Amino acid sequence: MRRFRLTPRRLAVGIVCGSLSCAGVGFAASLGLSSKGLHAWSQTLTKATCNQTSTTADDTYVQQASPTSTAGGTATTLTISPVALAQDYAFIRFNLSGCSLPTTGGADSAVLTVHVTTAGADTISVFPVTSSWSSSTLNWNGVSSLTVGSTATGTFSASTTGNKTVTVTADVDNAIKAGTLWGWELRATSGAAIVAIGASENGTAANRPSMTLSDEK
Amino acid sequence: MKRLVNTLGVVVTTALVTAGVAAAASLGFGSGSLGAGSVTVSGCTSSSLTATRNVDNSGNVTQVNVLNVPQACAGATLAVTLENSSHASLGSASTVVGTCTGGCTVTVAGFGTVSAANLTAYALSLTQ
Repeated sequence: MRRFRLTPRRLAVGIVCGSLSCAGVGFAASLGLSSKGLHAWSQTLTKATCNQTSTTADDTYVQQASPTSTAGGTATTLTISPVALAQDYAFIRFNLSGCSLPTTGGADSAVLTVHVTTAGADTISVFPVTSSWSSSTLNWNGVSSLTVGSTATGTFSASTTGNKTVTVTADVDNAIKAGTLWGWELRATSGAAIVAIGASENGTAANRPSMTLSDEK
Repeated sequence: MKRLVNTLGVVVTTALVTAGVAAAASLGFGSGSLGAGSVTVSGCTSSSLTATRNVDNSGNVTQVNVLNVPQACAGATLAVTLENSSHASLGSASTVVGTCTGGCTVTVAGFGTVSAANLTAYALSLTQ
């Protein structure tokens, strides 16, 4: 078998044939994609944790029996009472500004922890609040002007003292997209006892509200 | 005869090389995981639009929202694949972009049960 030698003529033939083949393939590919008008892209997410402690919390409780009182804003415990004409509601929120979360971010998981310091056979329901409030000004009369969800995000039993947790992932996810987390209203939805949970001003750090947060951006 | 054989050899060799290039290109595009950037061929937009997702209280993705989809994309099919850290698919869904004024937020749902904690990337495409 003779060894193949590349002559100028053979090279020219090869180039012409190769170009024609490439053009054909390229044309076919271009035709196929163009007819679909394709635009494809990707987006990568960054995961982080941004746990919340009493230093980022604001809390209070309001008293039906003292409708203009704002004393709950500096109390060391937050009272929750189902007693008729003497109901008390607690409010807790966290400032997420330190998490640097854009409104395109979200919560992968969020769990609120409160510590029951005075137990009672009540079920405490946690309702999302989506309008602004501050512990320095909120009182019983001001509650009616807040936007509070009609469905409880979660509940816990206050029949024993100690830490109680409520999953609040969807609420925090929505709050991140809204730009601000206005927290939750805690009130007794069954039972007759007056219970209390630790406030952010509580002298025992373990008794204060906290929230674990895994987020993405 | 020898000349014909030689010429055919060149042609066959060139065709094989071309096929190899085409195959490589195809592999690159197909496996291109659409993760290294974007690909646009005569589409209604060339922008990498931002996607967000909503979750339920269990942390599972309920929907993906693609923001500021141009009005020119009305009628196009928007496909979204949720990916984990290995760029493996966790779920896919698509919808047809409707008409709207200005930039639209297009919602895509139906990914099945996908934990947001496992979601690390979106692969998106608009096809007209």
